[in-house]
Amino acid sequence: MIELYAITDDPTPPDPPLRAVESNGLTALCAPTGRREVTPDALWRHEEVVEALMESRDLLPVRFGTIVSDERAAARAVEQRKEELAASLERVRGAVELAVRAQRRDPEGDAPPESESGRKYMIAKARRLAAARPVHEPLAALARDSALQRGPELLHAAYLVDRDAVERFVSLVRRLQREHPELDILCTGPWPPYSFAEAGGRS
Amino acid sequence: MRDKVLAAPLQLDPFAPDRERLENALTRRVNADPESVERGLAQLVLTIVELLRQLMERQALRRIDGGALSEDQIERLGQTFMELDKRMEELREEFGLTEEDLNLDLGPLGRLL
Amino acid sequence: MTTTIAEQEVALVDLVDRLLGGGVVIAGDITLSVADVDLVYVGLRALVSSVATAEEKNALPRMGSAL
Repeated sequence: MIELYAITDDPTPPDPPLRAVESNGLTALCAPTGRREVTPDALWRHEEVVEALMESRDLLPVRFGTIVSDERAAARAVEQRKEELAASLERVRGAVELAVRAQRRDPEGDAPPESESGRKYMIAKARRLAAARPVHEPLAALARDSALQRGPELLHAAYLVDRDAVERFVSLVRRLQREHPELDILCTGPWPPYSFAEAGGRS
Repeated sequence: MRDKVLAAPLQLDPFAPDRERLENALTRRVNADPESVERGLAQLVLTIVELLRQLMERQALRRIDGGALSEDQIERLGQTFMELDKRMEELREEFGLTEEDLNLDLGPLGRLL
Repeated sequence: MTTTIAEQEVALVDLVDRLLGGGVVIAGDITLSVADVDLVYVGLRALVSSVATAEEKNALPRMGSAL
């Protein structure tokens, strides 16, 4: 059984135990499956492998836990989706992913009030969604693409940023934080482009 | 390598992991066959209902935004959505499902919600 | 620069989000099992696909004068 780590079109062979399985211009980077346990440590180690690969190539990270029977199966899987994967690779070329989450510092009434008024409910909903704009829009403007995730946070987003624009992006996050003391803004990364690897996006 | 924090607020607590949710996420993965998603029928149905509810809410907000609706319509929409919100919560409780359970992972299409 | 435990913890959230929720998915059609019967929801995939395209990825409502 082998585990897939990433898909690339870069012909540079990876360091063992990783192997390159080529299929019509695209390459699946994989290695024999190790011990199957899903712990934070295992996840970090997997991530380390993908990030090391990403230091010298553009790639699409594969979802954790993708195991196929053998190299032929890996080649087949890549072959089946060749066009989509090639297109995704093109979309993320030269870019990395940055994650941003924002919360209200005082979560006063994030949940719509238990009010009788339907209008108040709609206002509260809209206000909550709109509050994310002053943070999201400037960041999206600096990014190649963005993906918003719905969740309890005010903003939960992934931004596809050119490698050489990362510093500017982070400076902007810091500036937005200064400009919005009522919010807590967190930025992590750089990550491989997990949220932009599939055409449908992450969510 | 694990220092991924690029910009942080003074308080990191709001962004810390919910241990229980994290456990669920990790253990679910161990049992999940990458090629199939095993879910109960109720989960499937409620997820679709929730998806539609969210879409309708967002659409309504956009229309209100565009000034297309009267005060009366806004009030009625809000009441309806409040009611739907409550009903969804009751239904979830009935089937013992959390909000997370209704976020079906559809593989290449990402999460439903 | 040393990472604090708190920083590693918040990074873990974003890591798990990505590794388990993102990335390329090598899979066929969506298969849902109900009572051990595999039902391939090709229709569901098409539905979600069309909804995903219709819904603008980055649309957030403004606080218009109506509200």
